[in-house]
Amino acid sequence: MEPAVLFKNGWMFIRANLTAILVSAGTVLSLGAFLWLFYMPPAFDIGPEQPIPFSHRVHAGVKSIDCKFCHPYVARSVHPGIPPVEKCLYCHNYIIAGHPEILKEHAYFNAGNPVPWVKANYLPEHVMFNHKRHIQKEVLCEACHGDILSMDRIKGVRFKMEFCIACHREKKANLDCWLGCHN
Amino acid sequence: MKRRTFLKIAGMGSISLAGCSPDPEKNLFALIHAAPDGVTGEAAWYASTCRECPAGCGILAKHREGRVIKLEGNPLHPVNKGRLCIRGQAALQGVYSPRRLKTPLLKEKGVFKPVSYAAAEQIIARRAEDAAAKGKNRVRMLTEVTGECLLNVFDRALEKWKSAKTLVFEPFAYESLKTANLNVFGLYGLPSYHIEKADVLVSFGADFLETWLSPVSYAGKFKEMHALSGGKKGMFIHVGPFRSLTGAASDLWVSCRPGTEGAIALGLVREFAGKGRTPAHPPGFAEKLKAAAALYSKDTVVRMSGISPEQFDILVNAVRGARSPLVLGTGSGTPGDNALQTDMAVNLLNLLLDPELTLLDFHARHRVEIAAPRSDAVEFFEAVAEDPVDLLLIHRSDPAFYLPGRTAVTGVLNRKSLFKVCFTEVMNETAESADLVFPPGHYLETWDEYAGVAGMVSMVQPVTASLYNAPGTGDVFLRAASGGTGGKTPMKAFVHNRLKDRGKIKDRKDWVEVVGRGGVFDAGLPSRSDRHAEVRINPGEKIWEGFSGPREQEANTRFFAVVPGIRFFDGRGGDRSWLSEIPDAMTQVAWQNPVLAHPDTLARDRVRHGEIIRVTTGRGEATFPVYETPLVRPGIYIVSLAGRGFSKKAEPVRQHSLSLLPAETLPVSGGPRCDAPLVQVQGTGAFIRFARTDGSRTQLNRKIALSIPLDRVKGRRDAGLSEKTAGYSMNEFPLTLPLPEGYDAGRDFYPPHAHEKYRWSMIVDLDRCVGCGACMAACYAENNIGVVGEDRIREGREMSWIRIERYHDPDRPENLIFFPMMCQHCDNAPCESVCPVTAPHHSKEGLNNQIYNRCIGTRFCAQNCPYKVRRFNWFEWTWEDPLRLMLNPDVTVRSKGVMEKCSFCIQRIKHAHGRAKDENRGILDGEVVPACVQTCPTGAIVFGNLMDPESRVRKLADDPRAYQAMGYLNTKPAVIYLKKVIPGT
Repeated sequence: MEPAVLFKNGWMFIRANLTAILVSAGTVLSLGAFLWLFYMPPAFDIGPEQPIPFSHRVHAGVKSIDCKFCHPYVARSVHPGIPPVEKCLYCHNYIIAGHPEILKEHAYFNAGNPVPWVKANYLPEHVMFNHKRHIQKEVLCEACHGDILSMDRIKGVRFKMEFCIACHREKKANLDCWLGCHN
Repeated sequence: MKRRTFLKIAGMGSISLAGCSPDPEKNLFALIHAAPDGVTGEAAWYASTCRECPAGCGILAKHREGRVIKLEGNPLHPVNKGRLCIRGQAALQGVYSPRRLKTPLLKEKGVFKPVSYAAAEQIIARRAEDAAAKGKNRVRMLTEVTGECLLNVFDRALEKWKSAKTLVFEPFAYESLKTANLNVFGLYGLPSYHIEKADVLVSFGADFLETWLSPVSYAGKFKEMHALSGGKKGMFIHVGPFRSLTGAASDLWVSCRPGTEGAIALGLVREFAGKGRTPAHPPGFAEKLKAAAALYSKDTVVRMSGISPEQFDILVNAVRGARSPLVLGTGSGTPGDNALQTDMAVNLLNLLLDPELTLLDFHARHRVEIAAPRSDAVEFFEAVAEDPVDLLLIHRSDPAFYLPGRTAVTGVLNRKSLFKVCFTEVMNETAESADLVFPPGHYLETWDEYAGVAGMVSMVQPVTASLYNAPGTGDVFLRAASGGTGGKTPMKAFVHNRLKDRGKIKDRKDWVEVVGRGGVFDAGLPSRSDRHAEVRINPGEKIWEGFSGPREQEANTRFFAVVPGIRFFDGRGGDRSWLSEIPDAMTQVAWQNPVLAHPDTLARDRVRHGEIIRVTTGRGEATFPVYETPLVRPGIYIVSLAGRGFSKKAEPVRQHSLSLLPAETLPVSGGPRCDAPLVQVQGTGAFIRFARTDGSRTQLNRKIALSIPLDRVKGRRDAGLSEKTAGYSMNEFPLTLPLPEGYDAGRDFYPPHAHEKYRWSMIVDLDRCVGCGACMAACYAENNIGVVGEDRIREGREMSWIRIERYHDPDRPENLIFFPMMCQHCDNAPCESVCPVTAPHHSKEGLNNQIYNRCIGTRFCAQNCPYKVRRFNWFEWTWEDPLRLMLNPDVTVRSKGVMEKCSFCIQRIKHAHGRAKDENRGILDGEVVPACVQTCPTGAIVFGNLMDPESRVRKLADDPRAYQAMGYLNTKPAVIYLKKVIPGT
């Protein structure tokens, strides 16, 4: 078929089905716009919202509080530990004690409920990660968790096996399935 | 295309369909106050005491993030020395039982309504005070066996309420043993036995491996005398009408008619009276004894009991040849009205054989001796029915279940004017007719003290966060008796003060140490001479009344008997799903509780294996499925006491076995009768398919569980079995260690594995295994194994990682061998070579790793495994709330579609690695203790590193009895078995 004819046929097809085409295009575009608006507001990619807007940037970065002050078990347990409510109040009974967010902290303390901090980093259940071994091998917190010092909310990492394996290979660490990570 | 790329692309399709992966946004574990001894992610261990039976074994509870996730034996505890039984392991499920009541229930107009704990406590206190105001003895109480402290709390409260002391009720109260001890030794109590020091042990029914007095303690002691040591082993003869699990451990079963054990014992008394050792008895004793036993000649005994004359001779000769013989009496469920005579004869026999009674310890007496005889319990209810009592308190007991159909009991429970309070964690039959059901805190959540054996202190302390904030019974009574004062846990202070008063602790430091250790175990043990101080071996005239002349029994009297079993004991374990899921050792049937009978019995009654039969006794009738077994004497139907709430969904589905037994108690001892003459047995024509886990009753010559006669155990391995040149047939095959030295180029297809420093291996001594199943329960607890239920087990889909296989000897079917089977971690693993995705993977330490996230569920590995140890997750197994709280966070919970199997407790190996790295050393021998090894009451399993020439496993691998299951397959298993040693040549 010649190009002119093809063009003409195509044009006629469009004219004949203009409404349908416009509706489909509109649907696709509005769906795209909806998805963009849904997922791309400014706060989308900064990590999960926490019950109290705790800022790692301020505490660990600006104030240079050592990670281990709040995560005391990181060098002696599989789990780094999340500070108990009382620990926040050690300081915040004096520092910005009347701030509405600190009052929330008090409310948790008085009600006897731990703050429901939301998990940001994700490991599948069949991975048995041990913080202690990594800290003792002097792996820096940032090596896995990223630049915490500049994050307000923890953006969190969805760790993938490749990430672990690459480092284990490089450092000649344990590559055995069970003895290494899984069981 | 690379395999990985292919999988990635193939996976994309499913991802786009499935949408998002599991929601990662869960909350983190946080606290209000930092726990002084809690490190998030690390376990804290607390010492406490098991209360699943009156034995009172010491436990160490593993605590993670506020909840208890595993129980292990306390190695310092003198009762169990670090071991636990199947029920002790399953005690964990009692805390998290889905049937556990969350609040007290108050009955209003016939309907239970939840009330708060504070309100319920007030009701109890007010009712008690009102009753006390009206006069004396208006409050009555019945409790299970408790520790000295709690009993004291009860009695103080009752005294304040102007009422008599509490009655201690136990379904198995050893009435005949106690009465026999009173008659012969002048002591109404239960001494403990030094089974370990005996060389010949005769039991007239004592089921000391299952429920009798203190089963974990006696299982350990039994294997001290009965395991092979220095080419010798002790002998154990079991006399009784059926072969229980304890009987199965015996070298000889003397099968006698029920109720004739006493005659056999008296026959032995006759043989030994006036002979041999000089007894230091009161004058005239020997003559009287001789006269009493004179009637029991060998012929009479043989005629009465139905045993063969040869068996009687063996029995006599074994006892006569013994250096240190010990005879044990009747079992927990006293069978027959002749029990007292048996127990008295046994005591006299012990006295004759060893006048010093060195193997009896009258000081370390069993706590269960405080339980009142059954007749007292009946009288208690008769008294309450008649007296003007206003308040009845029933603590952790279920008299309506144990005393079925008694007018006094039902009358009391139905009396409107009587306010009945039931302290129970789950609903039971008594609680259903109570006015107030008060679920007290579980013993793992509260303070108490319970010494299973006299002379020591064994702490009970909270080892887990309280699930429902339930106060302990002690706290409730202390507060109620003191007008609500005492704070949150007055029981803690009470126990502290009481120990101080008793001189067990001096100061705060002592207290902390006692709580940390789990008790006071070493203090105050008397010298040997003191041990018998309370005994007056001065048998009164009453004793001879016990021996009426030989009572000829009709040879064809037929009996129905109910006995306690190792899994459910008195029935309290019914809601622990592990106990139902783990099959009965003797029948390999799970979830169902069949009545056992001999094939001849079935033929006579024209019923068949698996048929539902209707059993009629003088008291009533009930239906049971019937299981054919040679382990019961012809003419007897025997059923183990099913758990209360024994069913798949742990709903209370009862077997009415107890309601078939005679209601009257025995005249002298006051004990119950656990058997009844059979009136009729009828088949219903309906059949049940047993949920059995055995494929066959025998090994079909497969060379799985092997035994060796004692005389053939030599210093070296049998010639031909140690040499590589030996044959490779099913009858002759070498032990091939899973090490490079086990490689044989002519025989092996795959190259040897290079292991780094460690090659984990396990030695299982079949001579020590008694088939108790504690290892299975420990494995369920440690490794988050799914419970599949009756239907799935019928389909062969049980998930247990370790199982106890039971095989009958094809020539002597009444002889059994138990065989623990778990993943063999082969060096030539058949599973590894067939997996298309290499999910089973051989690790550098020799373990056969199953990589769950790699597994795609082809099940080729399970098909190719000759040991049938691989388990496939056909479904997503669920943990009914709140059972999921007890899952071990160190072990992945497997999901549908993946294969799983024993890991040698890899999480514990990794833990040991971590500790060794911290201390910059290698792992020590014995440092890695898998859950099964840890709990085994007889120490049958040893775990260690085969590459260490000094390790225990390496040395045991050189034992002449060592072999590998189906070794002719050349799979080179890392699990090495030691043959069971049987008597004979």
